[in-house]
Amino acid sequence: MRANRTILTAVALGGLLLTGACGGSSDDTSDGAPGGRGFTPPKLSAPKSLGWTEGEVNLIAWAGYAEDGSNDPKVDWVTPFEKQTGCQVSTKVAGTSDEMVNLMKTGQYDAVSASGDASLRLIASGDAAPVNTGLVPNYRDVFPGLKMQPWNSVKKVAYGIPHGRGANLLMYRTDKVSPAPDSWKAVFDDASRHKGRVTAYDSPIYLADAALYLMKTRPDLGIKDPYALDQKQFDASVALLKKQNGNVGEYWSDYLKEISAFKSGDSVIGTSWQVIVNTAQAEKAPVKAVLPKEGATGWSDTWMVSAKAKHPNCAYKWLDWIVSPKVNAQVAEYFGEAPANAKACAETAAKNHCTVFHADDAAYWKQVHFWTTPIPQCLDGRTDVKCVPYAKWVQAWTEIKG
Amino acid sequence: MATGNGTTAITLRGLRKSFGDVPAVDGVELDVAEGEFFSLLGPSGSGKTTVLRLIAGFETPTSGTVTLAGEDVTRRAPFERDVTTVFQDYALFPHMTVEQNIAYGLKVRGASRREQAERARAALASVRLEGFGARRPSRLSGGQRQRVALARALVVRPRVLLLDEPLGALDLKLREQMQTELKELQRDAGITFVLVTHDQAEALALSDRVAVLNAGRVEQVGTPGELYESPASAFVASFVGTSNTLTGRAAELIVGKPGTFGVRPEKIRVLDADGEHDRADHSAVHGTVADAVYLGDSTRVVVDTDAGVRFVVVRQNLDTTAADALALPGSRVLLHWHRRHNVPLSQAT
Amino acid sequence: MTKAAGMLHRSPRLRLALLLAAPLTWLVVAYLGSLAVLFLSGLWTTDPFTSDIVRSWTLDNFRALVTTEVYRRVALRSIGVALAVTALCVVIAFPIAFYTARVARPRWRPLLVVALLTPLWASYLVKAYAWRVMLARGGLLDWLLTPFGLDGPGYGLTATILVLTYLWLPYMILPIHAGLERVPDSLLDASADLGARTARTLRTVLLPLVLPSVAAGSVFTFSLSLGDYIAVQIVGGKTQLIGNLVYSNITLDLPLAAALGTVPVVVIVLYLLAVRRTGALSSL
Repeated sequence: MRANRTILTAVALGGLLLTGACGGSSDDTSDGAPGGRGFTPPKLSAPKSLGWTEGEVNLIAWAGYAEDGSNDPKVDWVTPFEKQTGCQVSTKVAGTSDEMVNLMKTGQYDAVSASGDASLRLIASGDAAPVNTGLVPNYRDVFPGLKMQPWNSVKKVAYGIPHGRGANLLMYRTDKVSPAPDSWKAVFDDASRHKGRVTAYDSPIYLADAALYLMKTRPDLGIKDPYALDQKQFDASVALLKKQNGNVGEYWSDYLKEISAFKSGDSVIGTSWQVIVNTAQAEKAPVKAVLPKEGATGWSDTWMVSAKAKHPNCAYKWLDWIVSPKVNAQVAEYFGEAPANAKACAETAAKNHCTVFHADDAAYWKQVHFWTTPIPQCLDGRTDVKCVPYAKWVQAWTEIKG
Repeated sequence: MATGNGTTAITLRGLRKSFGDVPAVDGVELDVAEGEFFSLLGPSGSGKTTVLRLIAGFETPTSGTVTLAGEDVTRRAPFERDVTTVFQDYALFPHMTVEQNIAYGLKVRGASRREQAERARAALASVRLEGFGARRPSRLSGGQRQRVALARALVVRPRVLLLDEPLGALDLKLREQMQTELKELQRDAGITFVLVTHDQAEALALSDRVAVLNAGRVEQVGTPGELYESPASAFVASFVGTSNTLTGRAAELIVGKPGTFGVRPEKIRVLDADGEHDRADHSAVHGTVADAVYLGDSTRVVVDTDAGVRFVVVRQNLDTTAADALALPGSRVLLHWHRRHNVPLSQAT
Repeated sequence: MTKAAGMLHRSPRLRLALLLAAPLTWLVVAYLGSLAVLFLSGLWTTDPFTSDIVRSWTLDNFRALVTTEVYRRVALRSIGVALAVTALCVVIAFPIAFYTARVARPRWRPLLVVALLTPLWASYLVKAYAWRVMLARGGLLDWLLTPFGLDGPGYGLTATILVLTYLWLPYMILPIHAGLERVPDSLLDASADLGARTARTLRTVLLPLVLPSVAAGSVFTFSLSLGDYIAVQIVGGKTQLIGNLVYSNITLDLPLAAALGTVPVVVIVLYLLAVRRTGALSSL
């Protein structure tokens, strides 16, 4: 668990800027036409068949996604891959989505575990190539809810293989917060009840959490997608967070920091991840988490292949390997997220892992709005207004914290 | 109490001071008269500086008392004693100008700005440093710093001025000049001066009285004349000027009685070996010249006497020349001197 | 060979040039060069979607620095924190250094100095997290203060100042210790001798003499505090300092981060100019 934590800390720190995790609006799978997302990807095609493996493959991955036993001898799914395929794996761990995008631009890497915002940017810039899912046998068993989503496909063309997903939950101290909350209201309109002990995720993307809350509580604003906010909707979200700031004790981006704050009682309620809840409970902190009735934001990661890949065959082997039931189960448990492969649920060491992380809970994921990069062209399809781009979110986040 | 006006400025009684197990001052008893120029003379490690620091209050004695003008100040802090010090390294405040340095004691005593300025200027004039007031001490020569230190200590008109080897860092010419100035200053100010020095010539030249210290004890207190002419111990005799010491068989042979005696080199005449030497009131001894050093005004002759004691004799070059000095070594001579120059010394070291 | 040596001997300028070539190259290219690049990249902008740097010249970032209220507020807060940390360090370090340099027995002094430096051996993060635990609700600080009817400061600005003070204290103690050690005993004796009580001697003699050392130490505490962004993340609660702003912009908007990064550089240069007047730089 310790090693696990270190990795997660690294991820959490990396996620600070949160160009990181994934994206897409989500419950709106019908809107698969990314042309409406404001860009047309360069014309690239996926391979029709695979050839001989090249003997090596270069990956860009989140910490914990390509473990070769060097962090924990028991955590190793890279060595068996090398033995089986003859592809030597070199992994470059990236801390943020921006880093991933920049690394991919060098053309020295074959595949990347991109989060939603990064994946779209890679598709738009032509750095990521379409993926022939037919060459990835295990793709068959991926949960349907993850296939052909706005963050991994454009115009009905798949650009990657889903890796796993998680949701941002509302965590609270059972001894300090009663009755048990069932709404994000507890950290917004009712935050003053826990003045100085509310916590929130320290990233501009957290604005989407406020927008999600307003989507349900202020129908007059007409928010359809928490990542597609026009100026008025954006201002309302910022105002809500500024108000929340008065009650916030601290923001977290390092997940160890959140655990310590909940254990000591410095924080009693706030946004969190499933793996944090589990760890905190294991450390005897009296905490619980809920997916509030308004739904939640979350992330979904995708393995993508570089358009300039020098080792595409090994890259495809890796894509198939990482979503194979056993390996997908291992990585999902190690990182603390829901696996992408339905069959992985039978392979997890903790038998209830998929239940805990809601891997097969379509209703649960319906309520999760995966992170994506806000752009001027409104992601909800509106064309009559300009939406506020991510750069402005970053600036606003600074101002919210003051 | 040679030039004192009769009252006692400083009284030390049974003064002891140990650093760890090492006694630096070991039972010192002294009385210094008001207006006296008093010196503490001794080799390094004799405890003379510690005595000074005990008087100033920088150290607290292990036992014994320090009395200033009849008041017991043993437990008082330096700033509660009407005593100022001229330090060996001058201890001028580097961040203040010369004038600020001099005015410091006045300022501390709450003197008005005008009074500070006037008295500081007068003090500067008294040490002939007019116009140097605005300088930093670092821009002064050694002799000038010395004078500033003096002015700074004197401007507050202390009852006693302590001087810790104040001339040690100066070259010979400057030192002689400063000696004269010091003496004049003391005479004009009428303040009690206590000077610590290892230079016997300086002590003899300046002081009304001198205390010779050795190993934390006072060997002898007296006027320069008393010390030189009637040293109480072999240590004093050899430390104050030079002295030929006769003891044991040599004393019996030459002086004619047992005991320890000192004979000053300049009291002895060097005669030819067959010269007349039978005068009853004279002591005499034969010997061979081992060495002769021509010093210009005098010649220093080293003689191995037949009594087995090596003698040093200083012969004024009244008629003799450098050539005579060169011819001396190896020759047989007769040394003789008036018996009254055989000064009995106590057996103590 | 001999000829070359002779030439070197006759030409001191050539000798100097050879001696300084490598370090000067380093200084100009790596050090000043990076500062120049920092400033220059502040004049660029980014593509809002891909975060790619767009190399078109604009003063927008610097204009934003001046006109955006939150940047001004954060900059002022950072300077305030740096000054508070420096002041606290002086107040705490002076008596400690006074003890180690003038009161303790001479043969214990080097040992005491080493003891004071031991916190520097521990990792910065370990120390910061240790403070996080101590400052927690019901933590050590609360426990210590409760008997006096007080609470610990909790996470926030106060905690940040406290932890930074702890972290940088050795950098203040050391120069003051060295400065105090350099003051000759005779100066303090002389002051007492001339009638000054201990407090006055401290104020008028000792303090002015170690002021350059204090200023030297303050250069460390001030600039280290101004540049910090980790301690404040760990114990600062929701507090933002200039370092946080730089850090959170570095991958998203490098030009803005660069523009923000020039703020501490400018402030520290101004601080050094101010400190130079005390003569402290010559005692660094």
